[in-house]
Amino acid sequence: MRPLDRLPTIGLLAIFLAAPAAGEEPLRIATWGGAYERVQREVLFEPFRERTGIAIETIAYNGGTEILENDPAPDIVDMAMSESLAACADDRLQSIQALELPPGSDGTPADMDFIGGARHRCALTHTVYATVIAYDARAFSGQRPSRVAHLFDTEAFPGQRALRKTPADNMEWALLASGVPRQELYDLLSTPRGLELAFRRLGGIRESIIWWEEGGEPVRLLESGRAVMASGYNGRFFNAQLDPDSNIEIIWDGQIQEYQTWVIPAGAGRAQAAREFIRFATRTGPLTALAERLAYGPARHSAEAQVRRHPEAGIDMRPHIPTHAYNSANAVAKDIDWYAHTIERIRERFRDWLESGDAASADQ
Amino acid sequence: MTEEREPPPRRRDPGDLLRRVLIVVVLGAVAGVASAVLANAFVAAIGWLNDLLLISPRSRMMESRAWLVTLAIVAVPTLGGLVGGLLHRFIPDGRAHSPADLIAAVQTRKGRLPLRTGLLTGLSSLVSLGSGASVGQYGPLVHVGGTVGSALARLFRVGVTSDNIAIACGVAAAISTVFHAPIAGILFAHEVVLRHFALRAFAPVAVASVLGHVTAQLIWPQPPLFQVTEAEVAHLWEFGLFIVLGIASAGVAVAYMSALLRMARVAKRMKVPAVLRPAVAGLGLGLTALWVPDILGMGSETLRLAFIEGAFTQWELLLVMTLKLLATAWCLGMGFAGGVFSPALVIGSLFGALFGSVVGSLLGLDLSALVVYAVCGMVAVTAPVIGAPLTTVIIVLELTASYPLTIAALASVALANLIASRYFGRSLFDRQLTERGHDLSGGRSRAILQTHAIGELLSDEYVAVRPDASAREARDAIVAAASAEAYLVDARGYYAGTVHLHELLSADDSEPAQRWCDPNALSMREDETVWEAMNAMRHFVGEGMAVLDAEGRLVGTVYESDLINAYLELLEQMRKEEHATA
Repeated sequence: MRPLDRLPTIGLLAIFLAAPAAGEEPLRIATWGGAYERVQREVLFEPFRERTGIAIETIAYNGGTEILENDPAPDIVDMAMSESLAACADDRLQSIQALELPPGSDGTPADMDFIGGARHRCALTHTVYATVIAYDARAFSGQRPSRVAHLFDTEAFPGQRALRKTPADNMEWALLASGVPRQELYDLLSTPRGLELAFRRLGGIRESIIWWEEGGEPVRLLESGRAVMASGYNGRFFNAQLDPDSNIEIIWDGQIQEYQTWVIPAGAGRAQAAREFIRFATRTGPLTALAERLAYGPARHSAEAQVRRHPEAGIDMRPHIPTHAYNSANAVAKDIDWYAHTIERIRERFRDWLESGDAASADQ
Repeated sequence: MTEEREPPPRRRDPGDLLRRVLIVVVLGAVAGVASAVLANAFVAAIGWLNDLLLISPRSRMMESRAWLVTLAIVAVPTLGGLVGGLLHRFIPDGRAHSPADLIAAVQTRKGRLPLRTGLLTGLSSLVSLGSGASVGQYGPLVHVGGTVGSALARLFRVGVTSDNIAIACGVAAAISTVFHAPIAGILFAHEVVLRHFALRAFAPVAVASVLGHVTAQLIWPQPPLFQVTEAEVAHLWEFGLFIVLGIASAGVAVAYMSALLRMARVAKRMKVPAVLRPAVAGLGLGLTALWVPDILGMGSETLRLAFIEGAFTQWELLLVMTLKLLATAWCLGMGFAGGVFSPALVIGSLFGALFGSVVGSLLGLDLSALVVYAVCGMVAVTAPVIGAPLTTVIIVLELTASYPLTIAALASVALANLIASRYFGRSLFDRQLTERGHDLSGGRSRAILQTHAIGELLSDEYVAVRPDASAREARDAIVAAASAEAYLVDARGYYAGTVHLHELLSADDSEPAQRWCDPNALSMREDETVWEAMNAMRHFVGEGMAVLDAEGRLVGTVYESDLINAYLELLEQMRKEEHATA
């Protein structure tokens, strides 16, 4: 780290120390709502308030880096690693490299306890989540979908598909369904031909797509029967499955794993309290508690080893975690470096594709 | 012959045998490890350069400045060509070496690959591949691996046979490393380099290949060339199509190899100085790549895309295949250092995909996945080029672990090599060697005989008389030397003919000997080969023949018995090398 990078830290520290007791101003965290946020409030936000007296106010967030431009900016964002890297490269995030993290509950130093690639200059990973394809078990009485390719097979598995309105994930699945091995996805998406193939493949089911933007939508679309297959976060689907009458089943084939991180926007008003929170929220205990309630993979090895049963449902949580060996056989590791450098142009391409819908499908 | 001798055979006591086996196996192990580390470093360096210089699709995609990407496509291969051209000036014969040079060294028992040439060839190939020339990486890797083996053999102070085995060890480890295919590495070393299956060679080569494979997993591990998710042969009758595809692929292979040779000849006639030719090639390649970027570099992404249904239309397959073939001939012919193997893989897989796609749509049939045809085409075009049908099939098995795919590939390869060899030759390497005067098609013994000049067998035990000598003078000289013939040599040393004692016996004493000159007498130039001498002597009866220098002056004689001895000695060495167990 360059010495100059520390300057804002020291400056902000001084401001924080000069301020009287914290508490009057809540810490503003942008996060994802729904069951996810409820669990965060239970195992992170409330205990943090009890410990420090700092209340937490949440801001609705559905991904992207636009939120960093809000006025006032949030103090913390629960951001996907790919977007964290892009924002960091544009100097829109504060460095948290100097943040000292406590060792794991088993005494392992933090550097060895966190999973590979979890720490970045501007971001600290807390969970590994997976974007998966799920389906409505009621919709398929005979053969059930089990492969990524079935998402694109509207003949064998007719019905509406709910997909997130982003190029990410959908492009990967389009190529997986075309027979591209998971290790070669990003190399081939880098060629004009591979990218073209992905969009063409998506174009093949364009008529059957319902676009979703907020993480709870796919669950509701599947439950209401408006969609028969949907992409979504594995934790959301798991949460719905806790209901014994749930009609939702997860296809683990082609799950796309990504790191979810805590970041502090450059314009955050309460950077020191934000650091305090991040340190608090990424200890072994809170990470284990999150995994046992949300079915996400924890970012610390010591936490993964402690995951047991869901506190209310009592079921063993390990088979519901994306990083478990049963589920990860054909998992795609999202290439965040690739996304960090390409996301803007890919999004543009995606928007063009959405708009030129009729022209593209005429090309088929 | 003046060739270095094997250590003299001693009494075979078990301890000595064990010691010799151990030395060769240890040599193989060291060569294997060294070659594997170098091979991985080489591949890693190419990837690093491709990313740095905006040649790899990934780096081009990740660079947001479009103008820079466009500039790099044209400028990088041009500058790479310039650097390569300059590097070649430091290699003794002014060009990068190839597996053909390595095969020649082993097959003619010359052994000893020079370290400097090997390193410069590796470096120049790294520049070519790093800057996106349409050439392959396996040829240079094979050459560098073999050079490492040969250099180690010199360090271990072993004989020529062991040097050859050490070269094969380096080659096997290089192939084993880059294809993640240790069995294919062993096969390649035997099928292409050694061309025999002696147990004595098998042991160290196998050790080198396996150790290389293990080392490669530990130090700078590289991803495999391609992966296949799943591939089943849908109908048994498709094996018929695979065989047909193999026959058609032989045609593509012949076209590819002919283009390579022809371009090399055309380039030699161009007015561009040799040092600048690669740069010109780079410029042409870069400009074409602005239109069809698929032809740039080794083409791993193009190869992988050829396996995927819908990535190319049929016209695009034809276009990219043709351009890739021409681009490779252009780059290699103009002097870029690099191999022919990787482009053959790309061209073959595109052709296989085209074949599967066209046949499928013409017949309106639901064929196996496109990847099966692409792999069959890939193997059937590549095998004739490198002259290694078994190796290429085993590479498929080891890379994909798919038995159905391997058998399909085998069906395609079955006839491909035979047909291509009818129209072209056993491989591109053999053809290149033939053009340089090493004809391996007549077997190894002929190749070896062709590398030795009769000058090496010269004897000065001959009788020379002046051309104007009388029959009597000539007769007395022959009898005095207990010989049967004499050469007529003038005062300046020029050869004027041969006279035989039995002819002179019936001549008058005063008659000029010249009158009895044998009109069928043989004379050869000292730089003609032993092979030519043996052929000339097939219909010749006599003791020996006159050997002349380039101007026609007599330099000595070669006795028939010396030729026969040389031949027998050679057979004995080959027998030892190819059939000995230790």
